[in-house]
Amino acid sequence: MTVAAMAEALGLQAVTAVADQEIVGAIATDLISDVLAHGEPGMVWLTIQTHRNVAAVASTQELAAVIVTGDRPVSRELLALAEQQAVTIFVSEDDTYGTSGRLYELGVH
Amino acid sequence: MSPGAVAAALARRGVTVAALSDHNSGGNLAAWAEAAATAGVKPLYGLEVRTAEEADVLTVFDELGAALDFGQWVYDALPDVPCDERVFGVQVQVDAQENVLGFEPRLLISGIDHELEVVCQTARERGALVIGAHVDRTVDSILSQLGWLPEGLAIDAVEVTRFADEEALCAEHPSLAGVPVVRFSDAHLMADIGYQQTEFWVAEPTVTELRLALRGEGGRSARPVRRALAGLREPEET
Repeated sequence: MTVAAMAEALGLQAVTAVADQEIVGAIATDLISDVLAHGEPGMVWLTIQTHRNVAAVASTQELAAVIVTGDRPVSRELLALAEQQAVTIFVSEDDTYGTSGRLYELGVH
Repeated sequence: MSPGAVAAALARRGVTVAALSDHNSGGNLAAWAEAAATAGVKPLYGLEVRTAEEADVLTVFDELGAALDFGQWVYDALPDVPCDERVFGVQVQVDAQENVLGFEPRLLISGIDHELEVVCQTARERGALVIGAHVDRTVDSILSQLGWLPEGLAIDAVEVTRFADEEALCAEHPSLAGVPVVRFSDAHLMADIGYQQTEFWVAEPTVTELRLALRGEGGRSARPVRRALAGLREPEET
């Protein structure tokens, strides 16, 4: 499944430009140190964390996209760094549990 | 851990300067001012703020009034979640004579609605020494929550726990390069007061002087000491 297809299927709102690519898996966590340890290239990351380090770690780990869950507001600082680092960020109205469940059902394991 | 008992323990153990730093509250600082003066300990006024990212930051003020004002700013951003005393215990406010003044109904360990950068900048603008608390911990610290120390953060030092080796930690986290490391007891129990400390070589124990010492400027210096004061039990790894 691709990033764009996932966004369409889950009804996600893109808050940055979308760089479409194949998704290889997902990680749901709010600790950036956890993503540094376990995030792999091509993964989608679901989180309520909105510090600007989210964009930095998504870039260093070469994640396919970040989904900020629970309809949380995304700060200007995070958006600015995401645009600079070409990181794709979506916002999901659903919380992490619900969004993860639907993503799993779509075949992203 | 009442302010009076803390001040008396500090005096007995030979600590001359200390900050009382409750989580997200300045509610016991007025009592601390009086109790420390009685015990002959120079009081500094602290708050350990849990940011929106749940990264703990220690803020230390010279003046009670400035600390209380900052405490109000923190409290105004504290989620209105009640403290379940069956789980978290009571959040008691006392005076210097250990009379109970009241109980804080709002849960003080919640993360407040301000991000790390805002907390550090605001505390510093209001005159505080700002320190990333227990950064080697795998929870509730800047490094655990944010992976590394964000560039340009308005902090004066990072604090590590007794279990941290600062050379290994700095090797693992390049973002700590050039950031002074301090050790405080971070005591939540009376027995832990003084289980490690930082020695400051300063003209007087003020935030300005402590900052100079952390930077190693003007002949001032600071030295973290990874051992317990004489007579204290050695803490166990947790």
